[in-house]
Amino acid sequence: MTKTPLLEIEDLHAKVGDKEIIKGFNLTIYEGEIHAVMGPNGAGKSTLSNVICGKPGYEVTAGSIRFKGKNLLALAPEERAREGIFLCMQYPVEIPGVPTATFLKHAVNAQRKHQNLPELDTMAFVKLMREEAKKLGIDNEMLKRPVNVGFSGGEKKRFETLQMSILKPQLAILDEADSGLDIDALKVVADGVNALGDGKRSLLVITHYQRLLNYIVPDFVHVFADGHIVKSGDKNLALELEEKGYAEFVKEK
Amino acid sequence: MAGLLQNKPLLCDDIPWINALRQKGRMAFEAQGVPTAKTEYWQYTKPRDLNADDFVMQNSEDYEFLSVDEAHDCHCGKGEHECHCHHGEHECHCGNGEHECHCHASHEEGINLAERVLPFEAYYLYFANGMFIPMYPALPAGVEIKPLAEAIFDGEAKEYLGKLVDIEKHPFAALNTAYGEEGLFLRLQNGVKLDKPIVIWNHSEVEDENVFYNLRNLIVLEKGAKAEIFEYFDYKGKEKSRYFANCVNEVFLAAEASLHHYKLQDEAFKANHVALTVVRAKREAKYQNFCFQHGANIGRNEVVVQLAEEQAMADVSAAYKMAGWATLDFTTDIEHMAANTFSDQLVKGVIDGDARGVFQGKIKIHPDCVGSEGHQLHKAILLSDTAEADVKPELKIYADDVKCSHGAATGELDENQLFYMQSRGIDADEARRILVEAFLDDVLLKIENEDIRAYFKSKV
Ligand SMILES: Nc1ncnc2c1ncn2[C@@H]1O[C@H](COP(=O)(O)OP(=O)(O)OP(=O)(O)O)[C@@H](O)[C@H]1O
Ligand SMILES: [Mg+2]
Repeated sequence: MTKTPLLEIEDLHAKVGDKEIIKGFNLTIYEGEIHAVMGPNGAGKSTLSNVICGKPGYEVTAGSIRFKGKNLLALAPEERAREGIFLCMQYPVEIPGVPTATFLKHAVNAQRKHQNLPELDTMAFVKLMREEAKKLGIDNEMLKRPVNVGFSGGEKKRFETLQMSILKPQLAILDEADSGLDIDALKVVADGVNALGDGKRSLLVITHYQRLLNYIVPDFVHVFADGHIVKSGDKNLALELEEKGYAEFVKEK
Repeated sequence: MAGLLQNKPLLCDDIPWINALRQKGRMAFEAQGVPTAKTEYWQYTKPRDLNADDFVMQNSEDYEFLSVDEAHDCHCGKGEHECHCHHGEHECHCGNGEHECHCHASHEEGINLAERVLPFEAYYLYFANGMFIPMYPALPAGVEIKPLAEAIFDGEAKEYLGKLVDIEKHPFAALNTAYGEEGLFLRLQNGVKLDKPIVIWNHSEVEDENVFYNLRNLIVLEKGAKAEIFEYFDYKGKEKSRYFANCVNEVFLAAEASLHHYKLQDEAFKANHVALTVVRAKREAKYQNFCFQHGANIGRNEVVVQLAEEQAMADVSAAYKMAGWATLDFTTDIEHMAANTFSDQLVKGVIDGDARGVFQGKIKIHPDCVGSEGHQLHKAILLSDTAEADVKPELKIYADDVKCSHGAATGELDENQLFYMQSRGIDADEARRILVEAFLDDVLLKIENEDIRAYFKSKV
């Protein structure tokens, strides 16, 4: 099977204000691959995922990001999402006044419209939402509340996973999807993520803990420090990091 | 035509008390003039366009769809009868004894009333360019509605007209008083609880002239009466016409009466709309106001509530949303004049383009009004760099043992919320629309009637 690159990041430099945070980042993800990125606090991991998804406030000063061969940097955030990129956020945003179900329905139909599929009516959408929610152990009651408002840390991560299961992205970026999760919830989220995999979907998993990688087994592990990848390896690298920490890489810079 | 004070024949001007009241109004307006930036409570909203001398006031005969020159069926509500009017005043032989009828007889051509219903059941009353169209819904017993001119003629208005409005401090209300002939007299007798809202539909349709009209409603709820009144202002016609609607409501709530007062101002973007509502609420009376302003060059709504006796309460809420060059102004003056009175104000604005939103909110608690509570909150979202919100809260507390609060916040749409939605594939514009709707959600929840709430929601 010849694989085609899904995401190609080349010599990416990005700054926030005057501060350069991403400094010459390179990564290529092929269809179906799972990449884990690990690195110390403040290394720029969330910045990287935000830049990939087009969050305002970041300036790309050099380099390129291509997705399915397209120049991603020229697309608006919503266009990137509709192309098939999903960011499971480290800190999901609360939106008071917007019911969770309404939000999800807008998202689903925006994507369907992009794919030239008929929009789902309320009945069909609710059915889909309930089915997926049930798999993730999400209460219907929770879906009636405003987006993320009053959700516990774990509930927020479950809701991120639910969105991902419904939107079925080709590339999911998980930014510390495991933070704040109890062991059961971790398993639920990991199962949700794994259920996505049909051999063509790719994952970029950002985490501090090897534990998540027991459930979502990576093909590659990258150490990210000071704005770029300092070392790459297979899943055993994660075990090594768990033992030794990042000290050696941080010193290297 | 010159200025806003014009000479025009007025109905019932030969009745001394109304003539005297109109003269007082005229003098009070002459003394104050059109407000300038130096006029108190007018420093933000500049009615410069209202100083123009090209406003035209019209009499009923100026309107084709209101004038009649043949015998016709009259819909003045006094039973079926032929009317032989040539506009305006005429003798009416409707069997209620001989009296002069002040209806403007209606040709139903020119304005299709059948289409003019809102998506909820109501008793409908119509005005066109400030003139009452004499068609009456079948009202339940104990509810009385008639044109103001008729209530002036039979003397019933005398007890109410001008009794609540301080024309020395409200120049446009003074102007309104100087004309005081168009509008409704509406009364609910003791204990009458209306089953459906009353809609007062004020339709403006202007061609080349800049029409100016005054409306004055007297709303009287006797003891324990309960009603919902929905004022609707809409517009059809040329975009450039700069008409001016100057409206005053005087609302009398007897003990335990309850009024839900809604207003939707959905007018031309060149419209000028200045309205003052003054409410006097007696013991345990409840006044709940919700106003949505939208459109208009200048749109000003001022609500004055006098909580005159114990346990009276007022809930005054508003939302406004505009772009372009509009100025929308919501001004309140809540007076706690008795112990244990309550008020709450929630006002939310969405401002785009070069528009300006103004909120001037006043709470005054008179001495000895212990146990009273007055709260106020204004929040605005600016959608552009050139949008502006001017907020002036004013708390005057002269009593101990009261609870008062006020707050104001002006900001932009939350970027993180916007990005969160976009990152799920939702269009930026759509995301903004959803966020604006969410922002206005809590103020809409102030509307108890679900059908009316849904209608406002569709307008937001
Ligand atoms: N908007 C901003 N303004 C200024 N500095 C910022 C901004 N956003 C991020 N930074 C800085 O950029 C650096 C990288 O932040 P980022 O959130 O990407 O780190 P991270 O690797 O995700 O860390 P963590 O593991 O703690 O989540 C940090 O030093 C952070 O303070
Ligand atoms: Mg991070």
